Amino acid sequence: MFTCKQVSNALSKEDYDKLPPMRRFFLKLHVKLCIFCGKFNKQVMDSQDMCRCYKEHEENMVDYRPKMEDDKKSELKKLLFSQTQDR
Amino acid sequence: MSEEKPEPKVPITPPEKWVDLYGDYLYGFAMSRLRNAESASDCVQDTFLAGIKALDRFDGSRDIKFWLRGIMRNKIVDQIRKSVKENQVDIEAEDEALLESFWFKYSGIATTNPDPWEFNPRKHYDNGEFWIVFQKCIDQVKDPARQAFILRVLEDQTTEEVCKVMDVTPNYLWVLLHRARSQLKTLLEQNWINP
Repeated sequence: MFTCKQVSNALSKEDYDKLPPMRRFFLKLHVKLCIFCGKFNKQVMDSQDMCRCYKEHEENMVDYRPKMEDDKKSELKKLLFSQTQDR
Repeated sequence: MSEEKPEPKVPITPPEKWVDLYGDYLYGFAMSRLRNAESASDCVQDTFLAGIKALDRFDGSRDIKFWLRGIMRNKIVDQIRKSVKENQVDIEAEDEALLESFWFKYSGIATTNPDPWEFNPRKHYDNGEFWIVFQKCIDQVKDPARQAFILRVLEDQTTEEVCKVMDVTPNYLWVLLHRARSQLKTLLEQNWINP
């Protein structure tokens, strides 16, 4: 069984979802039962879940993100063209 | 016997077309991490130039867009490293107190009783609007907590790598990530429930 400090350390170093199954099980169990670190570390785990989900959705958010200015694009195109000519 | 390079599974888009096809995609990503138009443009440019140099090593196993996105990960780290060098990360008195607190030393947490969420975010994970608000909230988190959050959580850098880039101790990185999570929670509650 983990101590509170070990749970907090594990959660600060890694996404709990990436831990080996047994380690993940005991970590979740500790967080569920612990009256000291349970509430805090549950929020850390929820935050990790949320960020994982955000990253999955990111690919669909292209339309809502800022676009590159046209003159920047033209400059970059010229640069890439010159670079490919040198190859 | 000479070893032939296997045929790529996906067609390789010539670099001349990269700006039109992937420019906005990569720029959007860079802006979501760097918040600064100039740094984001530099990041895209560096990514394309590194892509041209490494094109011989592209194996065609995935879309070139995602391959370039992988290259851009390192360029984002470089841009944040540059920004951190210009604005040194100093430990604030409030953060120092947190690191010295009994609860942190005993159990590695900030408090036994954090404020509960005002709403259940899980219920909105399938709603595209929620993630747009989430992104806007990340943009509003203050540096250097935001930079630590971007590197560690969104760009999947290890604790050791982030500490090196930001020149902070692992304990202080923990404080920065705690700050970022707390601010993000407050911002989400403000912007999602009462926009």
